Amino acid sequence: MFGRRRDRDRRSAQHIAQHAAAADPRNKQVYSKRGRRLPGESAVPSYTPSISARSIDGHLLRTGQEVYAWYKLAPQRWSFRSDSQRQDLIAAIAGQYAELQGRWMHLRVTTRPYPIRMWAEAHVHNAVKRLPDTPGTLTFDDYMVGEQQQLMGRSMAEKEVYLGVQVQTRNMMDRAVERAAPVLRKVFPDAVDAELVALDSEVEHLDQVIGSAGLDGRPATAEEMSWLMHRSCSLGLPAPRNLPAVPGAAWEPEDLASFTDAADFHQEPYSPTVTVRGRTGSNAGIKRHVAVLTVGLMHGLQIPEVDDPWVQRADRLPAAVEWSARIYVRRPEEVSGELQRQMNKVRSQVRHYTDEHELEPPQSLARQAGRVLEIDDEMTSGFTALGTRVRSWWRLAVSGPTERDALRLAQSLLDLYKPKVAIEHPEAQYALAREFIPGEPLSSAAYLRRGSVLWAASAVPTATAEVGDRRGILLGETCTATRRPVAWDPWMAQELRDASGLTAMVAGLGAGKSFLGGGIVYKTLRSGAHWTLLDPSGPLAALCDLPELRPYARPINLLNAQPGILNPYRVVAEPLLEHFYDEEDPERAWRREKALAAATRRRLVLDVLSGLLPFEVARLPQTRIVLLRAVRTVGGRFDAHPGMVFEALRRDASEHHEHAVVVADFLDEMRERMSLLIPERDADPYDEQRDDRLTVLTMAGLNLPKDGVGREHWTDAEALGVEMLNLAAWLTQRSIYDRPKDLRKGVWIDEAFFLSEVPTGRVLMNRFARDSRKWNVRVLLSSQIPADFLKIQGFVALLDSVFVGRLDDDQAQADALRLLKVPVGAGYEQVVASLGRRPGGERQTERDRAPRQFIFGDGAGGVERIRIDFSGPHLEHLRAGLDTTPDALRDRADGPDEEISAPQLPPAQKYVPDEIDDELAADLELGMTEEEQLVGHGDGSGPRHGREGIA
Amino acid sequence: MRVRTDDEVYRVDAVWLGPPKATFPWRARYVAWGVGIVVFLVVLTVERRMGFGFGFFTTAWAFVITIVLTRFITARISHERPLTAVVAMWVRELTAPRERTASTGGAASAARIRVNPQRPRPQNTKRARTQAKNRVQAQHRRTTSRKKEVRGVRTPARP
Repeated sequence: MFGRRRDRDRRSAQHIAQHAAAADPRNKQVYSKRGRRLPGESAVPSYTPSISARSIDGHLLRTGQEVYAWYKLAPQRWSFRSDSQRQDLIAAIAGQYAELQGRWMHLRVTTRPYPIRMWAEAHVHNAVKRLPDTPGTLTFDDYMVGEQQQLMGRSMAEKEVYLGVQVQTRNMMDRAVERAAPVLRKVFPDAVDAELVALDSEVEHLDQVIGSAGLDGRPATAEEMSWLMHRSCSLGLPAPRNLPAVPGAAWEPEDLASFTDAADFHQEPYSPTVTVRGRTGSNAGIKRHVAVLTVGLMHGLQIPEVDDPWVQRADRLPAAVEWSARIYVRRPEEVSGELQRQMNKVRSQVRHYTDEHELEPPQSLARQAGRVLEIDDEMTSGFTALGTRVRSWWRLAVSGPTERDALRLAQSLLDLYKPKVAIEHPEAQYALAREFIPGEPLSSAAYLRRGSVLWAASAVPTATAEVGDRRGILLGETCTATRRPVAWDPWMAQELRDASGLTAMVAGLGAGKSFLGGGIVYKTLRSGAHWTLLDPSGPLAALCDLPELRPYARPINLLNAQPGILNPYRVVAEPLLEHFYDEEDPERAWRREKALAAATRRRLVLDVLSGLLPFEVARLPQTRIVLLRAVRTVGGRFDAHPGMVFEALRRDASEHHEHAVVVADFLDEMRERMSLLIPERDADPYDEQRDDRLTVLTMAGLNLPKDGVGREHWTDAEALGVEMLNLAAWLTQRSIYDRPKDLRKGVWIDEAFFLSEVPTGRVLMNRFARDSRKWNVRVLLSSQIPADFLKIQGFVALLDSVFVGRLDDDQAQADALRLLKVPVGAGYEQVVASLGRRPGGERQTERDRAPRQFIFGDGAGGVERIRIDFSGPHLEHLRAGLDTTPDALRDRADGPDEEISAPQLPPAQKYVPDEIDDELAADLELGMTEEEQLVGHGDGSGPRHGREGIA
Repeated sequence: MRVRTDDEVYRVDAVWLGPPKATFPWRARYVAWGVGIVVFLVVLTVERRMGFGFGFFTTAWAFVITIVLTRFITARISHERPLTAVVAMWVRELTAPRERTASTGGAASAARIRVNPQRPRPQNTKRARTQAKNRVQAQHRRTTSRKKEVRGVRTPARP
């Protein structure tokens, strides 16, 4: 009595806290006799958790009987892969399961809400030098709030898959040591850790097996263990907003109370759901009804070809589904004995029917006998262990705020799996719900599923939709089996992955190309990028009218611009020495670059001028010769202009003099129409320097040839249009060199089909590919026909990311898949055709305002079908601005440009590439030394810049 | 790739049709026979307990009751839900925690705690006086042997 009282006085604060933790009378067991030897501890009741888990050390979870190692499995890409890749994945997983013979596994699939806060944080950190807010408009903070609210409204969750593997069963000694740990730790500390130390090699072996390709698991971290325990102990409750801090040391039994006290389960006898009531934290007082289902009989499934992996299928449900599977991988000898018994049973039944009763045995017996032989054959044939057998129990849990909601979800899950997989709703809901907690034993042997490891592996719970990154602008969400938000940082490839910044955007008319591109431009501008847009038709100029962008944006209609703005000598930027300081020999690199720029200018002038000549004249060899000679006379200086070439032509003194004059006449004829190419005296439009964050170059009213019309059928106006577009593209590209190297810049060229039509298109592409990484540029190229890009040699290899919208033509669909590097002919063409199409044959007079869908290949291996979603109320003005669909009822009248570009369709003929263009294209690949070779009087050696002035 | 479970193999319906050449008009699984025998014995025992004597009619009724009960039980078990699992689940239904409607605890009350305005002070007896004197002396002679009880007690700083 006396001693007791003195003890109580000495009790430390820690002991009191422990006492409080064990205050729940159900969890408390008082051993007043135990521990009397230790002064001060006798009065503290010991605590036994209400779950089987006893301690967590690293990724090892110990219960009274077993030690489990827990792993977090990596998500696996599933959509847009070939069947053989998918089969390989399944086989790899099956191989890993087979290596775990004689062990129990516990597979848990849980969810974590998409980390909106983390995304916002990363995005704001990533938004360097962002657009200053314009007073009275949407500020950056409001924009971020709007983005987050939009994400929040979707309540999207990410799937997380954990796998627990039984390491060892524990013996009496281990348990005794654990029980005596508080004393032993002082006397003989090594003994306490001896159990886990002895397991070291075993655990390492498991780490290796689970970590290899297939499951790609890595040991769960303390934070992940905590999350898993939390989600399991409060099954079906909303995710906790804040988790208790993760201790640095191992979890002792007393610490487990933080999991078990968070919620309690209860149920009425034979009620269809179990009620989970939150008790602490953000879930305090929240009640959820959880319906636990189990996987019943299953038909044969055609897994990669026809059916989804059967666990992934549950992702289609609009609510989160928790999975818990207990899998025991059986040893072959055990199975063969059992098979033998089954065979005997079948035989004796057959005998019973035929011999003893002279009856026909049921057909099923023959089938069963056949299947036994089949399984026996699978197990004994081949050297792979893919015939290894498992016994497994698969449980699913869905939850809802009321019993009715939970049951409705359960019903939709049943419907989802019909007719090939039966989902059962058994009794004993409470006991089944307990199974989800790591370390709990299997509650009932009912609904046992037997199969091969291949069957178990074909569940592929890790299959998910992974595309984009976690810090970029929000594009929308994936819309395959799994729904996840898609964020994309267009400069991550260049800054982190050392990839090029080329993006192709291919979609048919009205598939939402300009909407997507406009959204990307708007959102990245907000987070600090600089963009130059070339939009021949002009609707994107509306971006410049957005109030928050107006002070920083400049729309330029190139057709009304100052003369000389498209001077081919000026659209190629002059390299500056300071850009080469990071090279090892700056001077030399700069000179080389200067020579290259001069050669590019000559090439461009040659190209443009021969493009402007009538097709028949342009294809004559003399034309090329005289033009080339004239261009060479003028040289590659940046202050030259095409007018100087005309003069040089007239001064041509060679044997082709007459032809040169003819060519000069032809060109002079067009001189007034190409005023944009020739500057007026003393008026260089490039003198003015402006720093705009957004420049939109439009060419409204430009006459462009129609799709599929060969070069020889172009009218003069169309030829001029294409050449101007080409020059404008060069002008757009030039803009990147005016800004610092590290600054995030973007270039978007709409109607980029001309790149494959003009010989310099490929040069431009190469420049883009080479400089986009060095200069931190994202280049968006959009077109309606993927073949336009595929025509450019090596384009696919240079591409980083791809957006493919709806395309109706079969060939275009196959081409689009080639751009995406997705297997062609594997049935994905259908997907391209169905993107964003309204289901059913409804022909409504209302506009289709459903969000447009794209297939997005992010360049880092992810390819997914995504739905573009800029639907937040904060982006209302953007949507209105980007609405390019004509509407006769709208007040605003469209410009008169439509009439000018009335269709002038000459009979469509197959395009026959002329030899000159071909040759040029081939020569260009060789690095622009072709001029000498073509004319035949250059010696082809020596530095090129030295020969600029040779006539 | 066609994947399927092995469950079919284990779904052999082992039936006993009757003795050779004497086929019963019904087909019952071995399990049903087993359950039936146990139920029959239980029913007979219950009948005896209830005071029915052994006779033709009581046995016949026992037989009928057995058939009804056995059919009831076997309708609830299948290959998916073996008898043992069904029994186990029944037990789990019974032992699952129920919602607690009766509250425990309630408002905390301090009514039963004795409260004294003063703590008891040592009375001015002879013994107390000598103790106080000893204490003062002990403080003065710090270097000499110290008793265990005093260890750790903070002494006021010496002036």
